[in-house]
Amino acid sequence: MEVSDTVIDHLRRVVALPDLSGTRYQLECEIGRGGLGVVYVARDRDLDRRVALKILEGPVEGEAQLIARLEHPAIVPVYETGILADARPFYAMKLVTGARLDHYVESDHTIRECLRIIRRVGEAVAYAHSKGVIHRDLKPQNVMVGEFGEVYVMDWGVETVAGTPGFRAPESTLDQQSDIYSLGALLQFLVPPSSSAAIAAIAAKASYPDPHQRYVSVSAFLEDIDRFEKGLAVEAWSEPIWHRLQRFASHNAVLLWLLAAYTVVKFFLFFWHRF
Amino acid sequence: MDPDTAIGGRSAQFPSTHLSLLEATEAGLSSDAMNQIVALYWKPVYRFIRLKFRKSNEDAKDLTQGFFASALQRDFFPRFDPAKASFRTYLRMAVERYAANQHAADNREKRGGSVEFETVDDHDLPTESPEVVFEREWRRQLFSHALDDLRSHCRETGKQVHFGIFEDYDLADRDRLPYSDLAVKYGIPETSVTNYLAWARRTLKAFITERLRGTTSGAKELHQELRRLWK
Repeated sequence: MEVSDTVIDHLRRVVALPDLSGTRYQLECEIGRGGLGVVYVARDRDLDRRVALKILEGPVEGEAQLIARLEHPAIVPVYETGILADARPFYAMKLVTGARLDHYVESDHTIRECLRIIRRVGEAVAYAHSKGVIHRDLKPQNVMVGEFGEVYVMDWGVETVAGTPGFRAPESTLDQQSDIYSLGALLQFLVPPSSSAAIAAIAAKASYPDPHQRYVSVSAFLEDIDRFEKGLAVEAWSEPIWHRLQRFASHNAVLLWLLAAYTVVKFFLFFWHRF
Repeated sequence: MDPDTAIGGRSAQFPSTHLSLLEATEAGLSSDAMNQIVALYWKPVYRFIRLKFRKSNEDAKDLTQGFFASALQRDFFPRFDPAKASFRTYLRMAVERYAANQHAADNREKRGGSVEFETVDDHDLPTESPEVVFEREWRRQLFSHALDDLRSHCRETGKQVHFGIFEDYDLADRDRLPYSDLAVKYGIPETSVTNYLAWARRTLKAFITERLRGTTSGAKELHQELRRLWK
């Protein structure tokens, strides 16, 4: 049977695709590839909706169950898990449309917007920690910003994940402190140190090589960001006096203006009565 | 450039073998195993010779035929060492050597004035290198034979609908019917279309693996070839 190169290219592509017979999904296209598996867009025929289908290359114990246990607005919900005809495990998740964080930051964003994103990521991680789950591989490629600004943390870690250089903590055994390190690296990635000394200090404290020097929890990290946003002194930075005055001035601008106006009026009245 | 030959393009029913090339060679290369190699490589060798040495259709056919005849006579297969190269590379280099020698001999004779030597026009030649064309032709032959295997298998096992759907969807050059239309056309549920297509693809993959097994040195080379094929 003679076939054209176009058909051969198509066959090479589709024959290598996972066999979804016996499932309710129909493959559309590949959207991502990692060490543990490949993510496709698929159509759920029963519910007539598109989903993200992650197919794991080998048996990865409990990855889907791990994620399914985490119900949080910033964690992509798992719809279903199963095993394909070729024995590979898969799970179907909500399909998030938007931009990966590393692409999202290519356009200009304010510090406020960057902090909103880091806060959402931090909240998801803090929640996961409260459930005894650690991410292990927080990096811009694992954060999605949806079209309505919603933030999702993806690819929740399993034991075999070793993290990504630049975002991975130096300690050999990854734990909650390692996630804090990655959050610091993520903050540094989002807000360059030159933009704000206080933010740079928060990022540096979170990603200290010694885990004991980092924030004790993700909540402590988020509280420091909170303090920065409210114009208060941050825990991570002992600011110079001029900076403290500057911050005090900008934080109490209205009061200072009223005080100045009062002084001017008093001064004027003093000379008015005198002459 | 005169048109290519049709010889070697269509396969006869080459019986598939579970033996690797080395196992088959050790067992004294059977005609079935040899047929399988020739079926897969005849056209790539012919195309390679045509382009590399700019031979006419007839000359290239003669050289291809001559190469396989010589390969059988000269212990070509037992001398293959999988540690040095893949079988495909070994074969292509052997073809190149054989054809170069023949080409040189022809030229000597031509200088003597006894042979009318026919070359092809430069502007008719493809822009790709003969090595790339050899690889592509090999891939095309591999898929063609595996598709023949699949069609025969479907006919023998009463799975004509499976093959029909596969042919309509995966073998269509353009304008693939959506699954829902295929379901209507064959009077089956849409889920069956997915299942039939998946079965056909899975079986095609198995036939391709089987064809490759007979022309590779063993599990390692087979694995490498499969990875290269599907990447």
